Amino acid sequence: MSEIAHQNHSEKKAFLVNSSSLRDVRSFCRGVFEKLQINNDLKEELVLAIAEAAQNIVKHAFKNNADANELMVVQISCESNKLQIAFYDRGTPVDPKKVKHREIDNVKPGGLGTFFIQEIMDAVEFKDGKRPWINHLVLTKQL
Amino acid sequence: MTYKIEENGNSRIVHLTGEIDMDVADKARQSILPLIEAGHEVHLNLSKVEYMDSSGISVLIESKKLSEKKNTKFELVEVSKPVEKVLAMARKFL
Repeated sequence: MSEIAHQNHSEKKAFLVNSSSLRDVRSFCRGVFEKLQINNDLKEELVLAIAEAAQNIVKHAFKNNADANELMVVQISCESNKLQIAFYDRGTPVDPKKVKHREIDNVKPGGLGTFFIQEIMDAVEFKDGKRPWINHLVLTKQL
Repeated sequence: MTYKIEENGNSRIVHLTGEIDMDVADKARQSILPLIEAGHEVHLNLSKVEYMDSSGISVLIESKKLSEKKNTKFELVEVSKPVEKVLAMARKFL
């Protein structure tokens, strides 16, 4: 747990749902985490978790609809040293029961991103997306 | 992401530079897999990779598997600190 009292802060940004947006997602996150004075090691771990979640939206929620000019929104909020990262998209509804990393003895790369997210964050929660959104993922971590 | 390939006998040293994510994973894959397919030993230098995610790990796994199938060698020769951190996390999983 961090000994720094991080300021309360919230920022959000919309990105086109495609793989070339992932660099912009990382850049946005790094900027917000610098404002929050999060140390570099943790910052890069959080950036990885967020980028993996955004990648899952591109790969899975928009699997059959990659060319549409659809948007995903990433919102980073910090309150009382609790970091919350929310993702909103209008892709195929996610069934939380099917979102899991694969068995450990099955040496294939798929599911590694979900494992990274779970390793880095304290909690991963799928909430009901409120209109106009369909999926609403929330990642949290106590700083 | 950019790459450079050095030749040394049957060995090829592939230097990747920049960020490796889903958007460029196929480019990274295409810089490595054809060399293994052709029977070369591949030594991968990741010392100038500033960021790598699960897509990059996928490329490493595919390369290793293909090298085993082709009975040749695929190894990492240098890795940057960000890559080492991701590899350490991935090792818990793989």
